[in-house]
Amino acid sequence: MIDRIAQKLTAIPGLDLARTDAAATGVALDAVVPSESVRAFASELRSEEFMIESVTALDAKPQMMVLYHLTRVDSGLRVCGRVLIDRENPECPTISDIYPGANWHERETHDFFGIVFTGHPDLSPLILPEDSAGLVPLRKSDENLKELGAVVPRFAPPAPAEEKAEVEK
Amino acid sequence: MGGCSACPTDIVRGPGYDREGDPPRVNIDAVQHFVDFCRANSIWPMTFGLACCAIEMMGAGMARVDMSRYGSEVFRPSARQCDLMIVAGTVNKKMAPAVLQLYEQMPNPKWVIAMGNCAISGGPFAIKENYNVVEGVDRLIPVDVYVPGCPPRPEALLEGIFKLQELISGKRHPLPQSKGMFAPHRTNPTGISND
Repeated sequence: MIDRIAQKLTAIPGLDLARTDAAATGVALDAVVPSESVRAFASELRSEEFMIESVTALDAKPQMMVLYHLTRVDSGLRVCGRVLIDRENPECPTISDIYPGANWHERETHDFFGIVFTGHPDLSPLILPEDSAGLVPLRKSDENLKELGAVVPRFAPPAPAEEKAEVEK
Repeated sequence: MGGCSACPTDIVRGPGYDREGDPPRVNIDAVQHFVDFCRANSIWPMTFGLACCAIEMMGAGMARVDMSRYGSEVFRPSARQCDLMIVAGTVNKKMAPAVLQLYEQMPNPKWVIAMGNCAISGGPFAIKENYNVVEGVDRLIPVDVYVPGCPPRPEALLEGIFKLQELISGKRHPLPQSKGMFAPHRTNPTGISND
């Protein structure tokens, strides 16, 4: 089944799929999705009976990342979708019409990170108080902001060849 | 969020009947002392918990500590039947209007115990990055007794109740049910020490 799903996902334009060790990370397929393909990614997994587990975000430089975790209940197969978006103008298409369960996840992510999910029916504050406009508490301050590669191993820059040789010695 | 627009800023902290807007109906010292004695020995707290301190508050109402021995076991589910609001837990900005409304629904005289570090000062949330916790419930409503701890043990809450009784009637625990003629006549059947 995992091969069929991997095949279907790689057919989505711009999607960069990697297989990961599910025993170590809990995720079997790790996809970097361009934001214009998010809806195709969600529809494909919806047709494969995946459920939405979480929508969240990660603030890093140079770009921030929206994260989707989708799981099949029967086999426990989990797919992670990563969408890199601009920090200055954080926008990402909504998947709340494909997965109604993503509605509140997206509202919460909008509360905490200020990410605008375009096409979402109602992005009013879910968890923060109503008068909290402009407050994005989980966005990092400049001194706390880390490189994406330092936080997510997948985006880590490849180690220089000389250093690798030294380690081998 | 701002402060409480309905509460007067120069509110008198102390026994509830001293507060503005509700002077005593009968202003005779002896009567007032008797009324105070009754009030101090039948404090009705509100069934109202915000965080883990509420678990300790429930513990204070259970058999081991049993605050009913001191007249305050009747936890009421309606603010309109309560004398005492035990703010047991973290008050965040979204909860603040509800806490304020509950306080304003309580009839005078009324008292407030801030239970635990969160309700006193924001506790572990009083940090630079805090964006959602009210740092001390006394920024919203007047507090009579502060019970520190994270969370305070039920005995600490009991001590807070004694302090409140002292505040109301001028005497510390005017009806001691564990001493003199009220002392229990049998030994502890469980063999477990409470002391």
